[in-house]
Amino acid sequence: MKNDISLKTRREFLRTTMLGGALSWTVPAFLANTFSSLQASAADSATQVVTGKDSTILVILQMAGGNDGLNTVVPFTNDYYRKARPKIGVAAKEVLKLNDQVGLHPSLTGFKELYDSGSLAVIQGIGYPNPNRSHFRSTEIWQTASDSEQFERYGWLGRYFDNACAGSDPTVGVNIGRQMPQAFAARHPIGVSLENPESYRFISSEKGKRDEMSSSEESYRKLNQPEDEILMAGGEGNSGTSIGSIAGASKHTGSALDFLERTAMDAQVSSDKIRAISSRVETKASYPQSQLGTSLKMVAKLIGGGLPTRVFYVSQGGFDTHTNQAAAHPRLLRDLGDSVKAFTDDMKAQGNMQRVVLMTFSEFGRRVAENANSGTDHGAAAPMFVIGSKVKAGLLGKYPSLAPTDLLNGDMKYNVDFRSVYAGLLEGWLKTSSTPILGRKFEPLMCV
Amino acid sequence: MLKPLSKERWNYTTAAHLLNRAGFGGTPKEIEHLVNLGPDKAVSYLVDYENIPGHSPNPEWAKPDPSRLDRFMEARKADPQKRQELLREEQRTQRQRIVELKHWWLNRMAKGSRPLQEKMTLFWHGHFATSAEKVRDAYLMWKQNDLFRQHAVGNWSKMLVAVAKDPAMLIWLDQAQSRKEHPNENFAREVMELFTLGEGHYTEKDITEAARALTGWTYDRLNQQFEERPRFHDDGTKTVLGRTGNLTGEDVLEQIVAQPQAARFITTKLWNFFASETPSDELVTALADAFRKSGNNFKPLLAAMFHSEEFYANSVIRNQVKSPVQWLVGTVRVLERELPPPLVCFGLTRNLGQDLFQPPNVKGWDGGLSWITTNNLLARYNEAAVLVQGDLSMAKGVNLNLGNGGAGAGKVIAERLQNLKLRPVDIARILSEDEQKDKQKLLAALEKRLLQAKLRGKQQETLKQYLDSQPGLDDAVILNTVRLMMSTPEYQLT
Repeated sequence: MKNDISLKTRREFLRTTMLGGALSWTVPAFLANTFSSLQASAADSATQVVTGKDSTILVILQMAGGNDGLNTVVPFTNDYYRKARPKIGVAAKEVLKLNDQVGLHPSLTGFKELYDSGSLAVIQGIGYPNPNRSHFRSTEIWQTASDSEQFERYGWLGRYFDNACAGSDPTVGVNIGRQMPQAFAARHPIGVSLENPESYRFISSEKGKRDEMSSSEESYRKLNQPEDEILMAGGEGNSGTSIGSIAGASKHTGSALDFLERTAMDAQVSSDKIRAISSRVETKASYPQSQLGTSLKMVAKLIGGGLPTRVFYVSQGGFDTHTNQAAAHPRLLRDLGDSVKAFTDDMKAQGNMQRVVLMTFSEFGRRVAENANSGTDHGAAAPMFVIGSKVKAGLLGKYPSLAPTDLLNGDMKYNVDFRSVYAGLLEGWLKTSSTPILGRKFEPLMCV
Repeated sequence: MLKPLSKERWNYTTAAHLLNRAGFGGTPKEIEHLVNLGPDKAVSYLVDYENIPGHSPNPEWAKPDPSRLDRFMEARKADPQKRQELLREEQRTQRQRIVELKHWWLNRMAKGSRPLQEKMTLFWHGHFATSAEKVRDAYLMWKQNDLFRQHAVGNWSKMLVAVAKDPAMLIWLDQAQSRKEHPNENFAREVMELFTLGEGHYTEKDITEAARALTGWTYDRLNQQFEERPRFHDDGTKTVLGRTGNLTGEDVLEQIVAQPQAARFITTKLWNFFASETPSDELVTALADAFRKSGNNFKPLLAAMFHSEEFYANSVIRNQVKSPVQWLVGTVRVLERELPPPLVCFGLTRNLGQDLFQPPNVKGWDGGLSWITTNNLLARYNEAAVLVQGDLSMAKGVNLNLGNGGAGAGKVIAERLQNLKLRPVDIARILSEDEQKDKQKLLAALEKRLLQAKLRGKQQETLKQYLDSQPGLDDAVILNTVRLMMSTPEYQLT
């Protein structure tokens, strides 16, 4: 019975937070206080009630550096491939065959299992017009879903948050990493970026007291609680005499202080929630001990703990394989396949597999021809993977031609604009109209 | 509109506001000094900075490097492995210099004697946002920064021409590659869209024609400087914004600045930066008129702004979110501490979302409320411990994600951070003996210094309770109090 009351209080609290964008926001102090005392117990069950178990989740996996798509999804019978890749080409007998012409890199056993169980779609030949070969710029194009010649301020996920998630819990978008990806940049920034739950919080500087609630942490919490009564502005007279009170001078609806107070409260709430989940939820699958494995494990925990997140973002680096690719690339793909497989195993064990779709992307593929250093240089079109039990599994799209006359400056030409994939996921999975988010209509590639 | 501030309203609050916005804030003593000068002299002190001696020598590498091109040529000729090595070495050097450059500039802001010059330089960097990610030459980034500084409060036309011929800009927006056979429109587009007029005030035709006029302005890689190459220039007839003829780059920029919209555009942006994001239409008209009357010179415009009643409106004062640079530099100034070493500063600002010389894109930083997210706010609270207590364990948690090829560098940096030591704030510098002993006086002194305003009653009570809960009022407790006061929504405002 007691628990019921807490749940109700908590729900009310969250609702207040959600409406925060529209209303003049003042949280009664008792609610805020109740909240911190509840963090351990109520964070569990209550959030699940609030979010419901039915909303879909999109996980974005960035393969940073430009993944060599040609050695990832290998056209193993293609003569042009053999000619272009005399040293680093993947032998036909080694590939994990998807059909008579195309197979996965032998390190991608995890992906092969997912493919065979009908949970993996390979979308071939993805790119965009006038491809840019700079990491910086091309990543930006993918993150903002802009045209090649156009600079877009906000990210495509940020525009999703702006358009479809107004007033949501700040954890509607969660990036695992230190820096918010540009894809999250939004008119009304929302979302949380954390490398690990322990750093996403106020860290007390009192030595030896970091575990228990220190007196400075307690003070921090109180200092960041909004006033429990509406403050009347002190009026014009304030700056006329000595020094005015801040609350009087600039506290009004829509003021910067109003916004900061709300964000401070959101930070406290989400930090408590995430830490509570992370210490409580166990994962059963065995993940590689890599950064990607650790990140996906964190995502699995947060999903299992019922965080009301719609978009998670993780990344894996190291794909810029200019030299000696045969050493690095297989290792990266092994990590990729095994980490994602562990993640899907976890989702199944949690009963959340139907709610989750994971999409991979990289800023570009590599040149068709290998270079003199047994590596590959920056290229253009490449495949993407979309994974989940609800995806239209199999090979989608068409493999771009490798015939030298069909190449553009030595690169494969794309067949499908990446924004069609975004559109398909927005419409088919996140159930929202893609046009306002992508700026115009892209024919959605319905892979879910 | 633009009525001068009445003398009666000149006090600690308004003087602090001027110093915060036209510069990076200051100590109570500096603020009192401005109060005593009175508004006219205070504004003049900030705006007429030529009379104040400049500061700090340039980085020793801030000069052309004639051997740079040779090194590239050598690398090109070398065998693949050696080439890779040489290029990587070059990249390491440049990256290291960029870290030094960030620090060099932050130090000018924190310790320099011409706050407005540095503040305007920061404005121009955000306006003509150019990134070392593409330019990849620390000397050129420094040179552009120096250009912004020289023209900081100068003439708009002169500034534009100088920027258009600036090597870093020529590389950044591809003007260096533009030829009459295939004009590159990147610079021509951004100069109208982002730098001078804004969307809707030019046509696509204006862009293609301007790009033709700008051909021939290129970059001389050997001498690392601008070069005009007549044989690349299209000397046919072009029409840009209603002016027709064999236009040159100078003609185009002059024609742009002559548009009434140009004055509205840049003065609005300056008001956003210095005062508030919502100037009324009337106010913009007044600012643009003042700017045009002064011959498109920035100094008189800024002086008029800083004198105006509007600049000191209650809705303006303490209603701006500090940018990460303002937060860092302002904190160093009010705490009268030294700037942390280059690597730490790099980590702190990058983590908060403002990496100098590496803006996110040509549009620069969004600024305003977008500086603040839940994690940025927590990061500010934690980074406060670095600046107050010298607690570098907090700096180790900051973002050093250097993107592609930076993983190795990130590791090196993390290792070097391990060996750094940072002194805490010197309490005796910022608090009298009385203030160190008396809780009420302590809190009042810190409010005056850190916020130039008072906290809410509840917050004051919280800090009082914190002090009461401690066994004594030693240095550690005082430093923690400083950090707590910085760990508030209020401290993020200026």
